[in-house]
Amino acid sequence: MKLVINSKEKDINCNTVSDLLKELNLNNDIVAVELNKNIVHRENFEKTKLKNNDKIEIVTVVGGG
Amino acid sequence: MEKLKIGNFEFNSRLFIGTGKYENFDIMKKAHDASGTEVVTIALRRVNLENEKENIFNYIDQNKYKILPNTAGCYTAEEAIRTARLARELKLPDWVKLEVIGDKKTLMPDNEETLKATKILVKEGFTVLAYTNDDIVSCKKLEEAGASSVMPLGAPIGSGQGILNQNNIKIILEQAKVPIIVDAGVGTASDAAIAMEIGADGVLLNTGVALAKDSIKMARAMKLAIEAGRDAYLAGRIPKKLYASASSPTEGISK
Repeated sequence: MKLVINSKEKDINCNTVSDLLKELNLNNDIVAVELNKNIVHRENFEKTKLKNNDKIEIVTVVGGG
Repeated sequence: MEKLKIGNFEFNSRLFIGTGKYENFDIMKKAHDASGTEVVTIALRRVNLENEKENIFNYIDQNKYKILPNTAGCYTAEEAIRTARLARELKLPDWVKLEVIGDKKTLMPDNEETLKATKILVKEGFTVLAYTNDDIVSCKKLEEAGASSVMPLGAPIGSGQGILNQNNIKIILEQAKVPIIVDAGVGTASDAAIAMEIGADGVLLNTGVALAKDSIKMARAMKLAIEAGRDAYLAGRIPKKLYASASSPTEGISK
């Protein structure tokens, strides 16, 4: 399935946001996710299904002032 | 010592400190410890999918430090609001250092967009700490819009120029109803002390500590400066006089 993650096209096989994070080796606790510009709440990671061409934004915390 | 109250949060330390630009996370952590701070700021960015580095979360003990997410890098109210909402998803406290920049080179704030974002975020239940110019009108508008703290700049972000216009900050402090935190421009301990001596409720800084030759020592210097400045403010400085006034008795001098 083709997904656009942080503006980059990726070919990844996964059903849900939760699967995707696992596939990308990301710890659920330190990321926030948007699916097609809408926030996906943490408690919905498992039940939020992904489809071809979905745009996903994954952010985390970094150093800043 | 009276506490600093911002929204529903209370702090003993009046120093807020950033997490950017340190040589490494270990030095950052030690600098935070040395600074006595209770609040550290962070930024939100896309995860690096190719090479996800060690996460900064591992170096911030959230039992000890309250994380204050910023909206640095945002140029519109819309971007800043989106960033604040994403930060909330990270289970961070419901507060935000709202920063909407209007000019790339000077990183001067866009007060119009900041005001717009403040109104919306306050409505959404955020405790907003709004970064702005050292300008009484902007500060008043942000306060009226519901900001829990207003954070006028001492000088441009990361410039280390100190408190460029003390009179502007004094005027803001005289009229403010919410805590005023001087944010940006603090280059060394005396800058922080001056901000506190003139009555600021707190200081937020990052580069002055992160890029000092010895970040840990500078963090401690900032802690001491802020405590000294606060005490001096509360103690009340003497007026400046043109002529001398002897400290020792002028009578009974042995001849």
